[in-house]
Amino acid sequence: MREPVRDTRESPRFELRFSLTQGTFTVAPDLDISARAVALFGPSGSGKTSILEAVAGLRTPQEGRIAVRERVLFDSETHTNVAVRERHLGYVPQDLLLFPHLDVRQNITYAPPRRSDLDVPNLTHLLGLTPLMDRKVSGLSGGERQRVALARALHSGPDVLLLDEPLAAVDLARRRLILETLVTIRDDLGVPLIYVTHSPDEARAVADYAIVLEEGRVVAAGPPVDVLP
Amino acid sequence: MTRHWAAVLVFVAAAAACASAQRQEVLVSAAASLADVMTQVARAYESRSGVRVTVNTGASNTLARQIIAGASVDVFISADETQMDSVRGEIVPGTRVDFLSNQLAIAVAADRPRTMRTARDLTDPAIKRIAMGDPAAVPAGVYAKAYLEKLGIWSQISARVVPSASVRVALAAVENGAADVAIVYKTDLASARRATLALAIPVSEGPRIVYPAAILRGGRHRDAAMRFLSWLRDAEASALFQAAGFIPLGRK
Amino acid sequence: MEREILDIAIFTTIAALAATIVMLPPGIALAWVLARHRFRGKAVVETLASLPLVMPPVATGLLLLWLVGRRGPVGRMLEPFGLEIVFTPVAVVLAMAIMGLPLLVRTARAGFEQVTRRYEQMAETLGARPWRVFTTITLPLASRNILAGALLGFTRALGEFGATIVVAGSIPGRTRTLAVGIYTYTETGQDARAAVLLVISVALAFGAALVANRLAHVD
Repeated sequence: MREPVRDTRESPRFELRFSLTQGTFTVAPDLDISARAVALFGPSGSGKTSILEAVAGLRTPQEGRIAVRERVLFDSETHTNVAVRERHLGYVPQDLLLFPHLDVRQNITYAPPRRSDLDVPNLTHLLGLTPLMDRKVSGLSGGERQRVALARALHSGPDVLLLDEPLAAVDLARRRLILETLVTIRDDLGVPLIYVTHSPDEARAVADYAIVLEEGRVVAAGPPVDVLP
Repeated sequence: MTRHWAAVLVFVAAAAACASAQRQEVLVSAAASLADVMTQVARAYESRSGVRVTVNTGASNTLARQIIAGASVDVFISADETQMDSVRGEIVPGTRVDFLSNQLAIAVAADRPRTMRTARDLTDPAIKRIAMGDPAAVPAGVYAKAYLEKLGIWSQISARVVPSASVRVALAAVENGAADVAIVYKTDLASARRATLALAIPVSEGPRIVYPAAILRGGRHRDAAMRFLSWLRDAEASALFQAAGFIPLGRK
Repeated sequence: MEREILDIAIFTTIAALAATIVMLPPGIALAWVLARHRFRGKAVVETLASLPLVMPPVATGLLLLWLVGRRGPVGRMLEPFGLEIVFTPVAVVLAMAIMGLPLLVRTARAGFEQVTRRYEQMAETLGARPWRVFTTITLPLASRNILAGALLGFTRALGEFGATIVVAGSIPGRTRTLAVGIYTYTETGQDARAAVLLVISVALAFGAALVANRLAHVD
């Protein structure tokens, strides 16, 4: 079990310099930054999810380079394109995609564990999932499903967590709790985040770097306090 | 003690293996119409000689195709000469014989019986539909058409003929009223419950119906097959065929 | 007499079960390939897989006979070992499996197409290799359809006649199935026996349909 580098105080490097065209518009971020959490901010349809999917390997850019924490995931010049299953990323899409035929425990433990501190006891404690472990996922509330999806993504000991509008299905009362949990994950567990959202408050709460997108174009990039409305 | 049992087991197994290896078997492909009588015949032969006779039945053209494809059939009994001709390359020379014959018969529904004096009565305009095996494919139909042509009435009645997929279908048509008469084999009427005989075409007048039999080269038990075919033409088997309504052609 | 009828019923059921088991691996594999992949000659493969469905069964039987008969390409290879397929229960199972396969493939393929690729992708992001994705995600999510397809194949196998009688013949105690038995008894005027076999066939088909319904409604 390879224990990945954990630098809870250092900010890992994100290299997102690529061009991805789908249909009518092109999304072309151009960043080489160090941050503990990057927010992809913009209205729907601005290309935020596409960037996330490119990092996850679910979409392939036409050209460019993607590297996370010094690990090259994609490089059109050297013809590098790491397979999805080898990217060691935790992906939590907007619709969560919890496996409907498996219960909570089986969902969480689907990926083999890579970090001893991200094992089932720790994760269920962190996310308050202990009473839910043997339940079928179909009977859970929005907030519960979100936490299960997070636990599942974390169980694989990912190098970075990719989150697409994680609070969309969570009721207002619990949002703060989840945001706090994400900050804990970012700082105490040392898992950096790429966080897609259209809410400036969320971006400010979680990220130390934000990219503002409009119709695929990066119109601003920098610390959230500077670039967000 | 265990060693004794083991020895007995081995001996029994070996004996059984030997027995099954020596046990003779003859595979016969016979026309569908012979299925019932061949079962009785096979049983009789087995109790007499200890040789198992396995009977495969079907439409004669299907049986012929199986033989041509190399199926290891020992004896072939066909419902007509055409099918036997088609496998002539597979026949052991000198073993083909004219085995059985049959009689054409005209059948009517049992609840509307009538007797006919001759086949020419078929030209009666009151008879609207005549069911018979398809003269293009079914042996009984081929024979029937040949006979009616010989009588010179085929062209008159052919418009009223309903060709059927098999003789059984023709009989069923008459039984449920879809046809007024059916031309079948006399043997088919033996088991029909709602159809009766209107006229049996005398053998001397009717077409020469022949069920040929032959030993095939592809079979695996030639000697046993020869003995079986020979027995089939002897008195005991002939009696069984006769009881079923067939006409054994005997040895010439 | 009754013994023979019972034997025919038992033999047909066992052969149909065997045929269903035989058709499952190639059927599932073919269904998955057709559902997920695009490749040159895919239309040809699809047509071949549907052939037993659209060809007259007797024609399929003749094709099989040519293939596995002693003179044919496959039969020729088995001959030196003393193995013959024609006129054996193996031929019965073979005919049943070939006739049922297209139905299984069609139904299973629809099942695979319904399993959204996104679940498979999610499994990939969690590090699962293709075989693991297939067995832990794709197959379970398509299992209802696959089962329905297997049941369809089984029912088809139960009633299979045209190809069976050509390549397996009608040998009592060895290759005579319910359908072939009904035909043979009818052809020789043994209507009472044929009727009994018919009733058994209908009862079995009913049973299979009931099980299929149960499976469709569970959940």
